[in-house]
Amino acid sequence: MRFPFLAAIYRKEMLDLIRDRRTLISMVVVPVFVFPIIMSLMGFVIGAMEDKAERESKTQTIGLKVANPAVRETLSKAGLVVADKDNLRALIEQKAIVAGVEEVAAAGQAPEFRVYSDNSNPTSAAASEKVRAALAGLKEAIVRSSLRASGVPEAVLTPFSVAKVNVAPPKKMAATMWGSMLGYLMILLMFSGGMYPVIDMTAGEKERHTLESFLATPAGRNEIVVGKMLAAMTAILMTALLTLTSIVVSIRSNRIGGNSAEVRQMFSTIPLDAGNIGLILVTLLPLCVLAAAVMIAIAMFARGFKEGTSYLTPVMLFVLFPAMLGGMPNLELTPALALIPIFNASQLIRGIILGDFTRAAFLVTMAANLVYATIALAIAKNRFETESVLFRT
Amino acid sequence: MSSAPAFPPSAEPAAVRVENLSKSFNDPKRGEVRAVDRVSFQVARGEIFGLLGPNGAGKTTTLRLISTLLKPTSGTALVGGCDIVAEPAKVRERIGFLAGETGLYPRLTPREILKFFGEMHGMKGAPLAGRVQQMIARFGIEKFADTRTDKLSTGMKQRVAIARTMLHDPPVLILDEPTAGLDVPSARNIEQAVKEAKQAGKSIIYSTHFMEEAEFLCDRIAVISDGVVKITGTMEDLRRATGKQRLREIFVDLLGI
Ligand SMILES: Nc1ncnc2c1ncn2[C@@H]1O[C@H](COP(=O)(O)OP(=O)(O)OP(=O)(O)O)[C@@H](O)[C@H]1O
Ligand SMILES: [Mg+2]
Repeated sequence: MRFPFLAAIYRKEMLDLIRDRRTLISMVVVPVFVFPIIMSLMGFVIGAMEDKAERESKTQTIGLKVANPAVRETLSKAGLVVADKDNLRALIEQKAIVAGVEEVAAAGQAPEFRVYSDNSNPTSAAASEKVRAALAGLKEAIVRSSLRASGVPEAVLTPFSVAKVNVAPPKKMAATMWGSMLGYLMILLMFSGGMYPVIDMTAGEKERHTLESFLATPAGRNEIVVGKMLAAMTAILMTALLTLTSIVVSIRSNRIGGNSAEVRQMFSTIPLDAGNIGLILVTLLPLCVLAAAVMIAIAMFARGFKEGTSYLTPVMLFVLFPAMLGGMPNLELTPALALIPIFNASQLIRGIILGDFTRAAFLVTMAANLVYATIALAIAKNRFETESVLFRT
Repeated sequence: MSSAPAFPPSAEPAAVRVENLSKSFNDPKRGEVRAVDRVSFQVARGEIFGLLGPNGAGKTTTLRLISTLLKPTSGTALVGGCDIVAEPAKVRERIGFLAGETGLYPRLTPREILKFFGEMHGMKGAPLAGRVQQMIARFGIEKFADTRTDKLSTGMKQRVAIARTMLHDPPVLILDEPTAGLDVPSARNIEQAVKEAKQAGKSIIYSTHFMEEAEFLCDRIAVISDGVVKITGTMEDLRRATGKQRLREIFVDLLGI
């Protein structure tokens, strides 16, 4: 392998890639803009819906069909608009009222208050939640006053209290979430980010009739394949890293998780430090070679861009499944499982983020993926030496 | 031409010697296709050798075999003394190959393309840049040397393609229908360049459909049909053998059509 040849081929492929609008869109525009836009739109819509439900549940009428005047009073005090209505169910369906309370008396039993709501409508659900809370407050007040009247200390109501303490620090909670997501996401992005560049530099060269002249030069077949592969790897890593950065940035600066502080904190804690970022990159590197080589080997069969796309799309599906499985919790990465490509890396990345992986699993994963990458590279090189592939008619 | 890589002077009298070259394809529909069938010819230094034949005769396949893009089923060829089967890499150093339907990288400029192909022949730095500029001037590419080639006309592209083939000053040029689809000025420009290359002592294998062009340009001609060489010789030889004057008549006579 001669370095000047390799460098020249790499430079030509990169120049060609960077000037291709299609590749540029898939490599830069989509990663940088699409996620933040989708995320902030989602955050905006969810936030707006929550706000609207909150506001409307206080301004829209709640129908009452109750005898007990305390109920009306309590609900009014809770800031809700109430009015006497008869046919609660029908009125809710017609959206004339947002929720309803009906008192059902039964002989010899305590009365039952039925709270009607249409839970497919967030406003109605929020209103019914408010009604229930107000009624629970009323119930407790009545109990307390009865206790007081009969001289029983209020303390009997709470012989003890229960508090939940989550010993997992936010960082660990975040790690579980990121652990099941990051590996899968990165692997998916690597394959999807490499698709267009790879098709362009293989089937694209055939379609545009540039390959023949290239192959008639003294450039070695291995120099051609490796030069193309390095360019594909650059595109792959760039897509993956750009997307990851933009996901992190947009998650931290939007309202996903809505009003739940816990969920928000989980999203906005990034459980990554220099150490595990380094380990993750080391894990991804052989996978990057593998992705580039496999896609080059397959796309090389295609005669044109369209055909290349239809060959590589199923590959994405093959990758998706093991990558997703790898993110599953409760699966331990044994050395045997570490032999399964894609899955092993996805699992290992999860382990790295959770700080929970064995040296053996790490080494086997690296070794296995390097071997697969080498095999894929050899196959890709062979594609460039096979007449029936180069001159397929 | 000091920037071009030097080639060891060959002891071979003929720069190209094709010996019983054969190539069969296994076509799923047609079965075995003998695209090139025991073809032999020689091309001397400073000679333009024409390959003339109808569609599907085997011209492109022959040229691809000599350029090492295809492996022969049997037979071989020597290019500057190097065997196409045993030493394909050395052969590729000695040829300039212009494919039939050649394309240029659409997103690169002529200058970038020329530079890249120079690099693929081991040239670099200032000598390469100088040589590229020289070719740009020689082929009248100045005006569009820094325009993406997808913006160029067919004729402009073909000039760039020819410049690319001659850039590294190879001793052997293999040109597959270099004037196909070109207008008169562009075709003339290319014919002129080929004549100059002949004067510079290059060996040129030139395939074409144009009888007139073959007659005007080629020192010797091989008429090929169904992969078989029907006759090889100068125009005089061909006239004598067939008793016909015009190459078109000779062609018809030889192919029995
Ligand atoms: N890769 C291939 N696979 C199968 N058959 C092929 C292949 N390449 C060429 N052939 C067949 O070989 C024969 C010779 O083709 P070739 O392209 O060499 O002819 P040609 O003389 O260049 O024709 P044209 O004037 O149309 O360019 C044809 O029958 C063609 O179909
Ligand atoms: Mg042809």
